Order: sequence, then C-alpha cells, then structure tokens
Amino acid sequence: MIHRHIDNFGAWAILFAILITVVFLFAPIIVSILMSFDARSYLGRFPPTEFSFQWYARFFSDTYYLTGLRTSLVIATIAATVSTCAGVCAAIVLDRYDFPGKQALETVFLSPLVIPAVVIGFALLLFFALIGVFQGYPRLLAGHIIITFPYTVRTTLAGLTGIRRTLTEAAMTLGANERQAFWDVTFPLARTGMVAGAVFAFAFSMDDVAVSLFLTSPTTYTLPVAMVSMMRTNFDLTIAAASVVLMLFTIGLIFVLDWIVGLERLIGGGIYRS
Amino acid sequence: MKLNRGAVLLLVPGVGILLAFLVLPLANVVEESIRLFVPGRIGAAKDAPYTLFNYAELLNATYLYYFIETARIGCVASVVGIILGFPIAYAIARLLGPIWRKFAVGFLIGIMFLSTLVRVYALQLTFGPTGIAKFLSGLLGVSMNGRIYTELVVVLGLLHYLIPIAAITLLGTIQNVNPRLSEAAQALGAPRWVAHLTITVPLCVPGLLSAFLISFTLCLSAFVVPMILGKGKILFVSNLIYARFSEIANYPSGSAISIIVLVLSLVIIYGVTYFVSSRWIKH
Repeated sequence: MIHRHIDNFGAWAILFAILITVVFLFAPIIVSILMSFDARSYLGRFPPTEFSFQWYARFFSDTYYLTGLRTSLVIATIAATVSTCAGVCAAIVLDRYDFPGKQALETVFLSPLVIPAVVIGFALLLFFALIGVFQGYPRLLAGHIIITFPYTVRTTLAGLTGIRRTLTEAAMTLGANERQAFWDVTFPLARTGMVAGAVFAFAFSMDDVAVSLFLTSPTTYTLPVAMVSMMRTNFDLTIAAASVVLMLFTIGLIFVLDWIVGLERLIGGGIYRS
Repeated sequence: MKLNRGAVLLLVPGVGILLAFLVLPLANVVEESIRLFVPGRIGAAKDAPYTLFNYAELLNATYLYYFIETARIGCVASVVGIILGFPIAYAIARLLGPIWRKFAVGFLIGIMFLSTLVRVYALQLTFGPTGIAKFLSGLLGVSMNGRIYTELVVVLGLLHYLIPIAAITLLGTIQNVNPRLSEAAQALGAPRWVAHLTITVPLCVPGLLSAFLISFTLCLSAFVVPMILGKGKILFVSNLIYARFSEIANYPSGSAISIIVLVLSLVIIYGVTYFVSSRWIKH
C-alpha cells in the first residue's frame, strides 16, 4: 500500500519536474521575443504593455551591428568552406586507408573539440603577435577554421563509415575502377555527412564568442562580439531584436538539418525503443 | 588500403591547418608560460629568463579559489542537469509516440543549438531586474544583487544548455536498456520506483557517467555564461585567462593558466572515453 503511494507521488513529482524544466528552457526565449517588440523607449520590466518594431528598425539601421553581421557572414562562409574541404579530405583518408598512428591522428584532428575555446583564442593571439599579424580578418579566419574543422571531420567520417565497403566492391566487380567507384558510389552516399558538417561549421562559426573576442581588431569584429560589447555598455533592447534574428537563424538550421540528415538519425535509434 | 601518395596529399590541408593554427600556437603558449613577465608588451621579451613563477603563483590561495569555484559550480550544475535531464530522456524514449518524439527531440536540439549570446541575454532578461529577480530573490530570502542570487543565475545559465545535452546523451543510453527487465521486476512484485532505482538506473550508469563528464568539461571551459551572468562577481577560470589578456596584459601568467585548463580538460575527456570504452568492451 505504502509503495503504491510512493509510486503515485513519485510519478507526479517527476512529471512536475519535467514540466518545470520545460518551462525553464522555453520561457526565457518567449520573454526575449516579447521584449524585442516592446514599444517603451527604455529597458522596462516584463511584460511590455505596447508593441512596436522600433528595436528591429534600430538594429537594421545601426552600422555597428550591420558591420558585425557582415563580418560574421563572410568569416563563417569562408571558414566553413575551408574546413569542410580539408575535413572531407582528411576523413576520406581516415576511413579508407590503414597506416600506423591512424587512431592518434584522428584524435588530434578532433582535439579542437575538447580544448577550451578561450585557450585556443589566447594561443592564436600570442602566435599572431609573434609572427607580426595584427589584422582582424586573417586572425579571425584562422580561429574559426580551427574550431570548425573537427565538426566537418567527424560528420564526414560518420557518413563514410555508414557506407558498407561491399557497395564499393560490387561497383569494382562490375568493372568500375577505384576512382569511378569512389565518385559514383561512395561520394553520393557520403554527401549527407559532408553537408551536415558544413552546416555545423557555419553555425558554430556564427555563434563563437570566446575565440573571436581575442582576435578582433577595432575595425573587424563579428556580430557576437558586437553584441557582447553592447551588453556591457548599453541598456536597450536592440540586443533582443538581434537575438530574435539569430534565433530565426537557429530554427532555419534545425529545419535544414532535419531535411538533410533527419533529426532521428542525428541522435541515433536504439535497440529497445518503444 | 595501404597509404599511397595521393592519400598523403589529401591529409596535407588538415595537418597544415592543425599545425599552423593549433600545434604551433599551443607550443608557443607552453614556452611563454615559463617566461618571466615583463609589463607593457604582447608576449614575453625574447630574452626574458625562464621561470616557473607563473605556475607557482597559481598555487596561491586567491588563484586556487577560482579553480575550486569553477569546479564546484560546474559540479553542481552537471549533477542537477543530469537529474533533470534523465526523466526527460526517459519520457521521450519510452512514453512518447513518434510525432511527439520528433517534436521533443527537435525542441531539445533547438535549445542546444541556440546561440550562446541569445541564451544568456534571454536569461538575463528573465532572471534579471526586468524579470523575476525581485520575486525569486525575495522567495529565497537573499539580496537580488548579492552573491548567492548571482551564483544561482550562473548555474541556471549553465543548466540551460546542460539539460538538453544531458537529455540527448541519456536518450541514447535509455534506448539501449531493455524495458522488459524492469517490467519483469514489477511483475515479480517490486514497486515501480524500486524497479527503476535498482534496475533501470544502474544499467544507465555508463551513460550517466559520460553525461556528467561531458557536462563537467563544458562547465570547466564555460566563458560567456559567467562573463555576462556572473556580473564580475562570479569568475570562472576562462574569465581569468581573458582578464589576463584584456585587463592586465600579463601574457605569461595567462599562458600558465591556459596550460593548466588545457591539461585538466584533456585528462577528464580522454579519461572518460577510456573508462566508458573499457566498460563496453568488458560487457
């Protein structure tokens, strides 16, 4: 009898905990979306009483943000392209060839994932000072390439290992040479992993603060860096408007990922899933 | 296949990027960390004498305090994140139908991918003076500008991305635990909570452990959350490195802290991988 009560109480307590957690995860997003439409001209208390688009107008007419946004887009595009090319090449070798030290090389390729971003930013800052490079673009590009590179290696590798070797062998039995088998069979099947890697790379580049903060110059800065300095000095809601713009970007990203990979595949199935 | 010339050429871009943008800069940091600090320049002077002072300095109670605080707050956030993430993962794996399941996973991934700044700013609006700061701090009986409330907001900031990460990590684990086992226990008379605590949870230990260590490593390298939500009252080790650069320009000391943080993160991450994989192989 007492166990029945504990069971019931436990089930309700857990349900309540889940509910609170979901509210905690979701509510701040709703708050910042609503606040970004606030018609008051100052940072007032939530909830806003009247709504307007003034903060969006401010955001899209502020050259400080727009310069940051443009730099972010340029850096993210170049960094994602470079690291996807390098990452795909590296992943192909790691998947198809055997050589001593392969495991170690893979670990090293993926290591920027586990090195704290601040450490990478700090190290690059010192290194570029040592070799005498002080411009924003090359420094930011280097930082963004190194933090996005492991994502492209990992997703491409995951895509390649999912392709059964027998498919390539079948193509070769049917008369294709190694090159044809690669381009006609392996490559189209591995494309999903490559595109996913490029999307991840672009997203992480757009989001980075810790590395960029060390590598910006007074004239070259990314949108997140601009937002951080505004957060410290300004108390208006243009940042909320900027946040909503970035959120739309995240939602777009989720749809793209679902479209090319499928969210289910991203987390993987299980043996016992009801 | 054996390595041939074409394959080596394919490795060149990747290895080049790593050497130029990671290995050499880190090697430079190691060298820098054992140089004597000379104020007023980026990087130590070429002829600065070698010293272990930058490391010895970190044993000082003031610096040790930052490391301990980072570890303590990170540990609390990781444990709470797993306790809250586990039921969510369980509900998604076992209780939801395919459509809701996809919706829930999409929601978690969306929260996980949310730009760090968007997250931090949203939490600041919600738990700051414009939001429920007054109410919540009143409820807890602390000052809304005090250290306790600030620490709470920092922990919430960390939780906002740790919970989805823990839930997604544990989702994979729970999907691989046979539900028949706890059902069998219940059929044999065990109450539901006993069945879950003695069967489901122990079978998830490797997943729980790796979720904890992933969370903990993320906390150790957290930077934006303490920088914005900590309001200068709560500083993590990452913020200490940044302050070494932006405020006092002491590069050798920043290098020494970087090396310590780097070694700690690598030991924890590769320690986990080793532990988890050795457990999997044993079974």
